[in-house]
Order: sequence, then C-alpha cells, then structure tokens
Amino acid sequence: MSLPILSLITFTPLVGALVVAVLPSNHPDLIRRTALFFALAAWTMSLGLLGAYAFGQTGFQFNEATDWIPTFGIQYKLGVDGLSVLMVVLTTTLTWISVLASFGPIKDRVKGYMISFLVLEVGMIGVFLALDLFLFYIFWEIVLVPMYLIIGIWGGANRIYATMKFVLYTLVGSLLMLIAILATAYAYQVGHGGSWVGAFDFQQLQRFAASGQFGDAFQNLAFLALFLAFAIKVPMFPFHTWLPDAHTEAPTAGSVILAGVLLKLGAYGLIRFAVPLYPHAAHTFAYPIIALSVVAIVYGAIVSIVQPDLKRLVAYSSVSHMGFVTLGIFVFSATALQGAILQMINHGLITGGLFLLVGVIYERTHDRTIAKMGGVGAAMPIYATVFGFFILASAGLPGLSGFVGEFLVFVGSFGVAPIISVATIIVMVLAATYLLWMFQRVAFGTLSDFLKGLGGHLTDLNRTEMATLLPLAVLIVVLGLFPSLVLDLLRAPAQAFLAAAGVVGG
Amino acid sequence: MSWSDLGTISPVIVAVLAAAAILLVDLAWPNRRRPAIFTALTGLGAVAVAILIQAGHTGSAFGGSYSLDNLTVFLDMLFVVIAALTILFAVDYLEPRGLPIAEFAAVLVFAVTGAMLVAGSTDLLVLFVALELMVLPGYMLAGFARRDPYSTEGAIKYFLLGSFSSAILLFGLAYVWGMTGTTRVDGVASALATAVAHGSLQPGLAMGLAFMTAGMAFKMAAVPFHYWTPDAYQGSPTPVTAYLSVGPKVGAFAIALRLFVGALGPLKADWLPVVIVLAAATMTLGNLVAITQDNVKRMLAYSSIAHTGYILVGLAAYAGGQQTGLSAILFYGAAYTFMNMGAFAVVTALQRRPGVSSQIGTFAGLGRRDPWLGALMALFLLSLTGIPPLAGFWAKAYVILAAIQAGGWLTALAVLAMINAAAAAFYYLRVVVYMYMREPTEEAVASSPGVLFRVGLAAVGVGTLIFGLFPALVTAAANAANVFHD
Repeated sequence: MSLPILSLITFTPLVGALVVAVLPSNHPDLIRRTALFFALAAWTMSLGLLGAYAFGQTGFQFNEATDWIPTFGIQYKLGVDGLSVLMVVLTTTLTWISVLASFGPIKDRVKGYMISFLVLEVGMIGVFLALDLFLFYIFWEIVLVPMYLIIGIWGGANRIYATMKFVLYTLVGSLLMLIAILATAYAYQVGHGGSWVGAFDFQQLQRFAASGQFGDAFQNLAFLALFLAFAIKVPMFPFHTWLPDAHTEAPTAGSVILAGVLLKLGAYGLIRFAVPLYPHAAHTFAYPIIALSVVAIVYGAIVSIVQPDLKRLVAYSSVSHMGFVTLGIFVFSATALQGAILQMINHGLITGGLFLLVGVIYERTHDRTIAKMGGVGAAMPIYATVFGFFILASAGLPGLSGFVGEFLVFVGSFGVAPIISVATIIVMVLAATYLLWMFQRVAFGTLSDFLKGLGGHLTDLNRTEMATLLPLAVLIVVLGLFPSLVLDLLRAPAQAFLAAAGVVGG
Repeated sequence: MSWSDLGTISPVIVAVLAAAAILLVDLAWPNRRRPAIFTALTGLGAVAVAILIQAGHTGSAFGGSYSLDNLTVFLDMLFVVIAALTILFAVDYLEPRGLPIAEFAAVLVFAVTGAMLVAGSTDLLVLFVALELMVLPGYMLAGFARRDPYSTEGAIKYFLLGSFSSAILLFGLAYVWGMTGTTRVDGVASALATAVAHGSLQPGLAMGLAFMTAGMAFKMAAVPFHYWTPDAYQGSPTPVTAYLSVGPKVGAFAIALRLFVGALGPLKADWLPVVIVLAAATMTLGNLVAITQDNVKRMLAYSSIAHTGYILVGLAAYAGGQQTGLSAILFYGAAYTFMNMGAFAVVTALQRRPGVSSQIGTFAGLGRRDPWLGALMALFLLSLTGIPPLAGFWAKAYVILAAIQAGGWLTALAVLAMINAAAAAFYYLRVVVYMYMREPTEEAVASSPGVLFRVGLAAVGVGTLIFGLFPALVTAAANAANVFHD
C-alpha cells in the first residue's frame, strides 16, 4: 500500500491541534511555534503533493478509499485532480501565513485560538479532497465551528452578532444541502436495485448523472438546494450580507482565511458537485445565476466605493471579485472556467494580502476608518509600497495575477454573451476607482492628525509581517507572468467539467 | 405462569429486586450514601447482565402479553444506561441539598422497571400498567425537592396532566379492545388488518385512535400536548430533569412502537397525516419558543420538545412505508440520551452549590473558568445542534434519510426539520457564546464535581463522540432492534 499522502495532509493539522491541546497554556510562544510547525508541515506535504502530481492526466490521483458506514455505502474516499491540488496548496499556504500573522495580534487564549485554526485547516483541506458526498458534507460542517469561535472569541466589538449571522446563514444552506445529498444518494440507490453501494461515491454518482438518470424535476430541486448552500458561502448576491459583518469583526487572520479559503469552498462545490451531478438543472438556472453574478460584480464594486471602513471595503470588493468566479463557472466555457479558478486563487492571495495589510495598520492605530488615515506613505514607506502593490494587483493591473483571471473570464464569456463582458469591463474601472481612491486617502498627503497623535507607534512593517506578505507578493507576480503554471493543471479538470455539464447539450 | 415465563422477564425481576435491595440497604444503614449508591449501581449492573444474557434470544411470556425480542433488549439496555447515568449525576446535586439518595435511587429504579416492562409489553393492558409504573415514580422524582416550591409546582402539573393523559390513553385502549375484541397486540393487528381490508375506518376505531394519539402525544411531549413539559423540567431537581428528558421520552416512543406500529400498524395510512402534523408543529413550536428562553433548563425543555418532533419524523417515515424510520427512531433515542443527559449533567455540575440558578448568565465565562466542563458542554450542544461528526448529526441524518425515502409530504417534512435544525443552532450556540465569548458576570461558581459525576460525564462525552465517529456500531444495533416487518 502506498503512502496515504492525502490523509496525511488532512490530518497533520489535527495532530497539531491535539499536541497544542496538551501544551501548558502559560507558554504562549511555545504554542504559537508548535502550531506554526504543524501548519508548515502540512504546507510542505501539500507542495510535495503538487510536485508528485501527474500533470495532464484526467481523473483523480492519489485515491484512497475505505468503507466507513457500509450499511449506507458511505466511504472515506479522498482523491485529487488539478483543481483540488491547487485549492489544497492555497489552503495550506494561507493557513501558515495566517498562523504566523496571529503571533503578534492574538495575545489572549492563544491555545484555543491555535487549536481552532488547526481544526479549521482539517475541515478546509478535507472539503477539497473528499470524493464521497457524505464525507464532503462532514468536512464542510467541521469548517463551521472553528470559524464561529474565531470570529466570536477573538473578533471585534460586534463579534457575537457577526458570528451568529455567519453560522445561521451557513447552516441553513448546508442543512438543505444535506437533504439534497441524501436524496441524491437515495435516487442512486433506487436506480441500482436498492443497493447502497456507491450511493455517496462522487464518481459513481457522476457516471449515473452522465447517463441522464436523475430526472429533470429532481435535478432542479437538488441543484437549488446545493446551489443555495454554495451561493451563501461564495457569497453570491443576494446571500452576501453575512460577509461584510463577518469580515469586519473577524481577527485579521480569520479574515484572511474567510476570504482566502472559505469563500472558495462554495465555488469549489459548484464546480465539483452542483454542476456535474445536475447538469440539466445547471443549464436551466445558468442565466439567472449569470445575472446574479453580474449584479454581484457591479453591486460589490459600487458599494465598495462608499465604504468608510478599510475592512468593509475589502469585504465588499470580495463580493465583486467572487462574482467573476460564479460568472466564469456558469458560462460553460473552458477558458472562462480556467479563468474562474485562477480568479479563485488570485482572490485568495490578493485579498488575503489586503486583509493582512489592513491588520497591520489596525495593530498600530486600533482603527480602520479611512477618513482618519492619511500620509501613511510618509511614516511607513515600506508598508505603503507593499500596500500599493496589492492594491494594483486587486485592481487587475496587467502583469500581476489578478488581471489574468478576470481577462480569461471576459474572453470566455464573450463568446456566450458579449453584453456581459462589456458590463464587467466597466467594473474594472470601478474597481480601480474604489481601490486607488482608498489608497490615495490612506497613503498620500500629509500625516493625518489622528495618526500624528499616535506618534512613535506608527512603525513600518516588521520582519514577521514581511514574512507573511512576501510569499503572497511573489506568488502574485509569478502567476501574473506565468499563468500557464496553473492553467496547465486546470486543463483536464476544465474538460471534465464541460464534459459533465455538456451532457444535455446546453 | 411457568418458570420459562420468569426467565423471559428476568431483567425486570432483577430490576425490582435491585430497587428493593436499595430500600433494604437504606433501612440497615440509614442516611449513609455509599452503601445505597453501591447497591444501586451494582443492581443496575446485574440488570444489564440479565439483559445481555438475553441478547439475540426471542420468546414471549404470559400467554403472549410480554415479548422478548431485539427491540426489548435494545430499549432495556438504554433504560439501564439512563438510570445509571442519572444516579451518577444525582449524587453531587442531592447531597448538598440534604435530599435522600437511597430513596431517589430506589424510586428511579422502579421507574426504569416500568419502562423496561413497557419495552417488552405486547398486550394493551400490560402496556398501560407498565406505563403507569414508569410515570408514577416520575411524579415523585419531579417533586423530590419537597421544600422547593418550583419543584412541587412542576410535580403537580406533571402529575395532573400525566394522569389526565393516562386516562385518555386508557379510554382509547378501551375503544380498540371493544372494536377488536382482544387486548393482545398481534390480535389487534390482525383484526384491524381485516377491518381495513373491508373498507373505511369504523367510527369506534377512529375514536380509539384519536384518544390514543392524544395520550401518546402527551407522554412524549408533542405539541399541542406539551404544556406540562417546561414547568416540570424547570422545577424538577436538575438530575431529575435529565432523567425526565430522556427516560419517559424513550418510554413514550417505546409505546409508540409497540402500540402504533405493532398494534395499529394496519391503520398507518389513517394516522400518518396526524403524525406529520404533530411532527411539524412539535419541532417548529419547540424551537421557536426555545429561542426566547433565558433559563438553560427551560431552554433544554423546549429543545427536548423539538427533538420529539424530529423523532416523530421517523415515525411518520414508517407510516409512509419506510421500515428504516423505526431504526432511525431507535438510533435517535440512543444518541439523544447521551447528548441531552450530558447537557443536563453540566447544568447539574454548575448547580452543585445550592442557590445557583440555571439562568444563562451562570454559563458566562465557563470556558475560561472550567475548560473541561465548558468543552464538554460545547460538545453536547454542538451534538444537539447536529454538527458532524457527533452523535446528534447521525440521528438527524438517519431520520431525514428515512423521510426522504418515504417521499411525498415526508420530503417537505424533512426540509422543515432541517430549517428547524438551523434555527435551533441559534439557541444552542447562544450558550456557547456565553461560555466562551463573555466574561463572568457574577462571582465564579465553583463546580469541581465528585468522582462518580466525572465518570458519568466522561461516559456521556465519550458516548457522544463514539456514536459520531463510529455510527455503524449503533446503526447495526438499531437495525437489529427493528423487529417490525410488514
């Protein structure tokens, strides 16, 4: 038997959480370093996975499968394709960066915090690796609890409201998803003479779906339930209202993971499960979803312009950026889908970086109000430079990764509906507006009175902060110049997605 | 009566002897707690052994009025576990309040004897007598804190409404007896099958069905027959509440299985719509009212009403043609026992010192004050919410799956159940908010529970986890205990 590398990656953070749990609480530095060690271990292994992954092959690799609850054919089944490899690497990368970024800001109850973070990582990785629908659901729900605690315990002033809203929104979606999953498995069971074997196995179900055996009416209902769960997580307009609150109240690292990984869970679910299992329904609802995506893109951008709070601004910009992802998925073109997935990664890197940068300024000023800032460039030149870099990346400057993803979505959707492409290009201008205007108000000019009052506290980026931001910046440049590194990995998954979605011929 | 009859009911006999032994021990060593606790736990251990010896065997006693099958074994075992846990949790609570432990244990074991008899009864009269043996000690336990007016109030409400509902149930049984001419469950079933085959429901049977449904709904605390629950639960000493929330509830579902499934199975098309409405109303109202509660005991009382609703979904799924609905009920009962007793146990631990209220403020900062107790409470609450991979999640998933399999209106009921589960997260997690996200409002409440209590708490905690990680163990037992086949 070969090395179960996927299980190792998934459960290394869990081992870390258990180790942290038995460490003495009065040694916070030891706890921090141990957590970082395990996060880095998972990251290293995920890089090893990426290196060992056979490019260009179709199907899943490194498969692991054991029976878990044989009565209902529920398996512990993991596997990766190009999409999940990338998502896992994104997750492990952002997790260690977040853990490192929490070294300074989190001083209270460090132990619980690090345990939450490591458990969160288990859930996130598991979601991307699970090939059994039930297992997927379980990992999906495991993500919920640590994030609830991270926002609720270590968050800002209004944290309890924000965290309850986050949980309730997510739970409504996910419980409906559970019904859809059970109903899907049951439909499969009925189609196989009452045998539960393989009823929750994604590959079996997809084969079943590909042969057109899920009825249209059933597909519509199941798709809607799954879509709702994923749309809340993405979040798509009009299910996005939990996001600004959760982002604003979460601690910096919580925001990074929320934006960087949690939102991707929803998009991943749409690509992996919702469309391939219910292709007919996906086509039926494609136009309304495209419309909602465009609304999200435009609405997110417009609302971002008027946000007075740095974090809220970045949060609303996420709504806009994630709109490109859902748009890219539902125009059913290989180019657009690759762009959408690239955009998922870019958004994780860029928005993750922006939240880190907002966290840096918040650490020093305990404020995020844009109006109180000004002249940061004079006091913190390195900070302002790095901030400017991430701002330009977020605005889609060619040469940086943000541009490529959005561009591919334009190109891919142009063939389907040119009007959409035109509308979204206008948003590029809006994005530049709210981002650069915000940057101008924060960084340029003379030092504001509020910042002057802080005096010597306004120190430039320290080494830890640089260590969290630099890897992200490097990745943004590399992916901006050589997007083919990622796109090659995505060719096979994109073809598989279209093959699954194209069964009923659009 | 023959010796083999006595062999068949040996667990019940051992239970009666155990209860009597506790009383005798108390007589010999009055006001000494150790001998009484020792006798009670040993006695329950003996009952468990008697049950396990019977595992896998089938038989019937007293001319078919008592049945030994896998269902009896499953339920008996559950009742013994409930009784043992209750005693483990009760010692720490009763002692500081000067309440007699031996009496408590003896009454409790009598109640469990009744519950075990319910589990095996296949005769309408035996069923009723067993039911009364189960609930009468319950009234005593509810009023166990004699000097506490709330305890007395709760006990009286429980007694009055309980007796009332018993009478209604008996009235219904009488109708069924009159219409079918027999009190044996199988006889009733075959008579009803013939009657159903000959056309529409006779008015007498309809009356009987209505009265029995109402009586059973009272016992399981289904809306709109739930009014006794909040007061009885809140007023009772907390360990008693822990018992009441699971013991008589599982007992009521045992009645549902023996009576509605065993005897009235042929009429299931007639009672299906009623059960659907009961389930929908019960879970929705239970959850909505639970959201507004500031007292954790009362909140858990309403939550237990809501859980009755989820379990009823399993019964409805059976009536809708899915055998798995019954396995789901059994699984739910077992999972609910562990997580709900766990939650009440934590409340008990906090209330160890007399005078500590069960208001939600008592939980403020618990996660910091007592990390283990806080973590366990969070575990139980998350399990009650239905977060995987904990016991409560599988219980819900099982019930929902059965409902989806049944299809039709049951699918809508499944959707409603899931929306309810999401709403329930609000009030369960609100306690977590107090434990972890707020600072203590009053002086820290010392809990430091005793050894027995820790053992019990560890048992329910491990149970909640094991059920969650290896549900196959329990599903296998629940499937085996599902002895009803069309």
